[in-house]
Amino acid sequence: MNESIRVEGLEKVFGNERAIDDITFSVGRGEIFGFLGPSGAGKTTTIKILTGQLRATGGKAEVLGIPAEKVNTPDVLGRIGVMTDTSGLYERLTVYENLAFYADLYGVSNKRKRIGDVLDAVNLGGEEKKKVSSLSKGMMQRTILARALLHEPELVFLDEPTGALDPVNAKHIHEGLKELNRNGTTIFLTTHNMQEAELLCDRVAFLNGGQVRLMDNPSVLRRQFADGTIVVELVSGKQVSLPNRPESARKLHDYMAAGQVASIQTNEPTLGDIFVDVTGRELA
Amino acid sequence: MTFSMQRMYAIFVKDLKELSKNTFVLTTIIMPVVLALFFGRGDAVPLEVHFLVFNTAFAAVAAYIQSVAIAEEKEKNTLRGLMMSPATTVEILTGKSIVSMGMTVLTIVLCIRLLGFETANWLLVGAGMAVSLVLFTAIGTLIGLLTRTLMEASVVITPFIFILGMGTIFAEMLQGNVILTVAEYLPNFQLEYLAAAVESGAATGEIAGHFALLLGWTAAVIAATALVYRKREMGSE
Ligand SMILES: Nc1ncnc2c1ncn2[C@@H]1O[C@H](COP(=O)(O)OP(=O)(O)O)[C@@H](O)[C@H]1O
Ligand SMILES: [Mg+2]
Repeated sequence: MNESIRVEGLEKVFGNERAIDDITFSVGRGEIFGFLGPSGAGKTTTIKILTGQLRATGGKAEVLGIPAEKVNTPDVLGRIGVMTDTSGLYERLTVYENLAFYADLYGVSNKRKRIGDVLDAVNLGGEEKKKVSSLSKGMMQRTILARALLHEPELVFLDEPTGALDPVNAKHIHEGLKELNRNGTTIFLTTHNMQEAELLCDRVAFLNGGQVRLMDNPSVLRRQFADGTIVVELVSGKQVSLPNRPESARKLHDYMAAGQVASIQTNEPTLGDIFVDVTGRELA
Repeated sequence: MTFSMQRMYAIFVKDLKELSKNTFVLTTIIMPVVLALFFGRGDAVPLEVHFLVFNTAFAAVAAYIQSVAIAEEKEKNTLRGLMMSPATTVEILTGKSIVSMGMTVLTIVLCIRLLGFETANWLLVGAGMAVSLVLFTAIGTLIGLLTRTLMEASVVITPFIFILGMGTIFAEMLQGNVILTVAEYLPNFQLEYLAAAVESGAATGEIAGHFALLLGWTAAVIAATALVYRKREMGSE
């Protein structure tokens, strides 16, 4: 089995609202897959279905080769890690006590060392004895992430893992996730942060209105949506935009021959630009 | 259906730690001990007073701790994490029940000491108390499933503490009133009558009748709890 997740024609209707309306995708083993979409697109609902917390109203979903509605068993749940935007910690207990409790639930061996290692990975080394109620929001989020990784799951679901983090800590988490992935962990993450997706993901799916609008490798997408326009900044400070046409080559040649070129930039779209292009919506 | 002692024990330890740091709940569960200290100073404490204290312990300790332990997991969004871990609902509820029941047993033992309670037949009275313990833990589970925060659970438990805990104190006042005729079927009255019947050496049939009623209450509350659980699924919104 080379697929960690397989979803076909998935649908979830709440009352008369279609939260998910026909989604199809699969995530390969060892992949970092990004689910991108604005608030309300259906990202969390998809994670809930894949982790056995919600039943789909239509379609098929498999996680680690097991139908999503049968994921809810100790065996399967022990192989996945989940961090959602509504995960909570025990506020009266310390960071260590929270993680030790989960280590026991998951049967983690060598508990003390493992907890030290995951805390280092999320940049919380040395904070074991802090009471959760005294942590900042970002520290709580990193503790929850550490908890999701504690038992070295094969597959992790991360629902907006860096939402409450400052850039320095977000960067630390990104490095940690890449490292985790190098060691073989499959990562399914949702985000509305395009830079994060571009940096981390092997493939991204654009979600809007409960449907996948586009899905591919981020650089392939950027190439596909690039129109080849070159922006030349002249010594005079003037900016010239050269579309991808034969006559542009002559113009560029002339500028260069005259020594007028200060800088040349390609006009590649960002994932954010492509998202707006495809869905007509801004992300955040 | 798997059951893991290790996971159940982990939940027990975690809940005990949380409880030991929850001053709000701790101040409520010492109530029966305060009552025992107050009444225990008299020379001959009447049977009704002993059981007033014991029933209060069942309601204010067993039912209250259990309801809060469940409601707070929802309030703090920790239940979702638990449901996505290998822990099963049975393990979660068993681990919590052992904390609630264990604390209640400790409280009752302490109250028995303070009040100097004696009985002619520990086996029968002990069995009645054991059934009550299960009943009140089930009531706590039911309240925990139906409420969503510590505060909500604390408000909902109050009438239970007054009626099913201290209700027998009003028996004198209500003598001859139709309310008492009905109230006498409540589990706290039944436990007290059971003990009184044992003391006075009543016929086996009368004692069995009180037992049957206590067991009936317990079965009914457990059935209601199972029903509510199925309807709500602990974690879903
Ligand atoms: N339990 C629920 N009941 C009713 N509607 C819901 C429920 N959960 C989510 N929805 C709706 O489904 C849509 C998708 O929500 P969600 O998956 O949380 O989006 P996202 O995580 O992408 O922000 C939203 O319109 C939301 O209002
Ligand atoms: Mg969401």
